[in-house]
Amino acid sequence: MNQLIPAIGFGLITASILAIAAVGFTLQFSVTNILNLAYGDIMTACAFSAYVANQAGVNIWICLVIAALFGAVFSMLLNRFVYFQFVRRGTKLFGMIIVTIAMSLIIQNVLLAIFRPTFFSYRASPGPSHNFGSMIFTESQLAIMGIAVVAMLGVHLLSTRTKLGKAMRATATNPSLARSCGVATDRVIDVAWLLSGALCGIAGVVIVLNTATFSEVTGANFLVPIIAAAVLGGIGQPYGAMLGAITIGLASEVAASVINPSYKDVVAFGILIVVLLVRPQGILSEVAVAKEVTA
Amino acid sequence: MSDAMQFYLSTLLIYLFIDIIGVLGLNLQFGVAGIINFAYIAFVAVGAYTAAVVSLGPDHPDNFQHYLFGANWPFPLPIIAAGVTSGALSLLVGVISLRRLRSDYQAMVMLVLSLIATLVASNASGLVNGPAGLATIPQPLYDQLGLAPLDYQWVYAGWAGFLTVLTFLFVRGITNSPLGRTLRAMRDNDRAAAALGKGIVGLRLMVFVIGGAIAGISGAVFVEFIQAWSPGSWLYPETFVFFAAILVGGTANNWGVMVGTLLVPVGFLEATRYLPEILYRGFVEAMQWVCVGLLILLFLWFRPNGIFPERAARFRPRAAAPTGPANSVAASE
Repeated sequence: MNQLIPAIGFGLITASILAIAAVGFTLQFSVTNILNLAYGDIMTACAFSAYVANQAGVNIWICLVIAALFGAVFSMLLNRFVYFQFVRRGTKLFGMIIVTIAMSLIIQNVLLAIFRPTFFSYRASPGPSHNFGSMIFTESQLAIMGIAVVAMLGVHLLSTRTKLGKAMRATATNPSLARSCGVATDRVIDVAWLLSGALCGIAGVVIVLNTATFSEVTGANFLVPIIAAAVLGGIGQPYGAMLGAITIGLASEVAASVINPSYKDVVAFGILIVVLLVRPQGILSEVAVAKEVTA
Repeated sequence: MSDAMQFYLSTLLIYLFIDIIGVLGLNLQFGVAGIINFAYIAFVAVGAYTAAVVSLGPDHPDNFQHYLFGANWPFPLPIIAAGVTSGALSLLVGVISLRRLRSDYQAMVMLVLSLIATLVASNASGLVNGPAGLATIPQPLYDQLGLAPLDYQWVYAGWAGFLTVLTFLFVRGITNSPLGRTLRAMRDNDRAAAALGKGIVGLRLMVFVIGGAIAGISGAVFVEFIQAWSPGSWLYPETFVFFAAILVGGTANNWGVMVGTLLVPVGFLEATRYLPEILYRGFVEAMQWVCVGLLILLFLWFRPNGIFPERAARFRPRAAAPTGPANSVAASE
C-alpha cells in the first residue's frame, strides 16, 4: 500500500502528459482521417525547438510557448503541403499510414543528423517538492498537471461553446455535408492541425520536464501509450482519448511499481488488446463507426 | 577477383536472397491480400530466435548467454522450427487482431506489437538473453562440410538461393491460382468478396500465417548466416525497409518486389554500409533512413504502383473465341 499511493501520483503525471498528447493525436484523425504516426517525432522536434530557445537563455515556460507555436505551425504545414497533397492525389488510408511513417523516419533522422546521437536536458530546475499525503510532486510536475487540466478544459470549451468547435465537429462527422452547409472545411482543417500541433508541442516539452533528459527517439518511444490511449477511447474521440489517457497512465505506473518499470508499455498494450477484444471500436465510438464507411 | 571482394559479393548475394524471401512473404500479406502487417519484422525475429535456440544447445548456468529451451537439432530442423513457430505465433496474433478489428486499428495494433516485442525481448533476460542478444550460433553443416570459409560462403549463397526459388515458386503458385484471385478480390473490396461467399476472416488468417512462416524462415536463414541476433537487429523501421522494397518494386508483383529488394535493402542499405564516415559516426546511417523515407514518399507520389505495376489479369477463353473486352470478362466467369 505504501508503494501504491506514490505510484498513483506518478500515474497522474503520466496521465496528464498522455492526455495532452493523445487528444492532439486523436483530433488529427477525427478531422482529417489521418493516423499521424509521425506525431511522436514531431513531439521530439518541438522538444528540440524549446531546447534551442532554452540554450539561448529563454525561460523554460516561454520555451514551452515557443514549442507549442513551433508544433502548431509545423503540423499545419505538414498537413497542408504533404499529407493533404497525398490525400488529394487519391492515396488511401493504408498509403497514408505509410506516408506518415516515412515522415516519421525523415523527421527523426534529420533531428539525429542535426543534433547528433546524445542526450539533452533543459536548463530548468524542477523546483521544490511538495507532499500530498505520500504523493510527492515537484513544482514543475504540479505545473504539468495544471497545464493538462487547462488544455483539456480549453479543448472542451472550444468544441462545445464556439462556432469553430461546432464547425470542427461537423467536419469530423461528415466533411462533404459540412462543406455544403457553408463550413469552410479547408480553413477548419488548418485550425484543427494548428491546435493539435500546439498540443503536440506542449506534450513534447512537458514529457522532457518530467523525465529530465531526452534524445531523438523520446517522442517516438512515447507513441505506444499515445496510440493505446487514443485507440482505447475510440480513435477520433477527444473525450475518449482523455479517458484512455487516465486509464493507461494510472494502470501503467501502478503496474510499473508492482511488476517492473520496463514493462510499463507492455501493460498499456495489454489493456489495449483486452479492451479491443471486448469493444473492437473503442470505449466511445459513435464517430468511429461512421468513419469506417468513408475509410 | 580478390578473396575480400568475393567475400563481400557472396555476403551481399546471401543478404539479397534472404531479403527476397522476407519481401515475398510480406508481399503476399500486403500486396496480394491487403493485410497491413507493421509487425512483420517481429515475425522474422521470432524465426531467427527459434533457429538460434534450437541450434545453440542446452543452456548452462555458467553460460555467457541465457535463453529458453536450448537444443541441438541437426541441419534442416532449425529452419523448419522457425517457420512453424512464426506461423503459430502469426495464428495467435491473427486470431486476436484480424477477426473483429477495423483495418486501421489492425495496423495500429501491429505497429504497437512490433514495439512491444522489442521491449519484451530486451527486458526479459532469461528469454533470449536480453539486450545483448544471442551470439555464436553455429552455421549449418559447417563442420561436416569442412570447407574453407570462402567456399562455405558460396555454398551458403547457393542454399539461400535454393530456398528463395522455392519460396518464389510457392508464393507464385498462390498468387496465380484461383485462391490468389480470391485474395486480390478481398484486397480490392472485402465486402463484395464476402457477398460472393468468400470467408474473409479465414482467408486473412491463412495468408497471415503463411506470410508469418515465410518471415520466420527468412529470419532463420539470416541468423544461421550471421550467427548473432539481438533486439537492435529488428527495430520496427526495418519493416518499412521491406515495405519500401515492395512499393518501389511494384505492390503485388512478385518479380517487381524482387527488383525492389535488389534496389532498396541491398543496393541502398547494404552496399552503402562502407561509405566513409562523414562529419561524425552515425551521420551516414541517419541520412540513409532519411533517404528511405524520401524514397517511399517519392514512389507513392510519382509511381504509386511501383516500377513494375501489378499486371491486370487477362483471362483467355479456352476455345479460340474472338477476344474482346466483353467476351473475355464473360469467359472468365
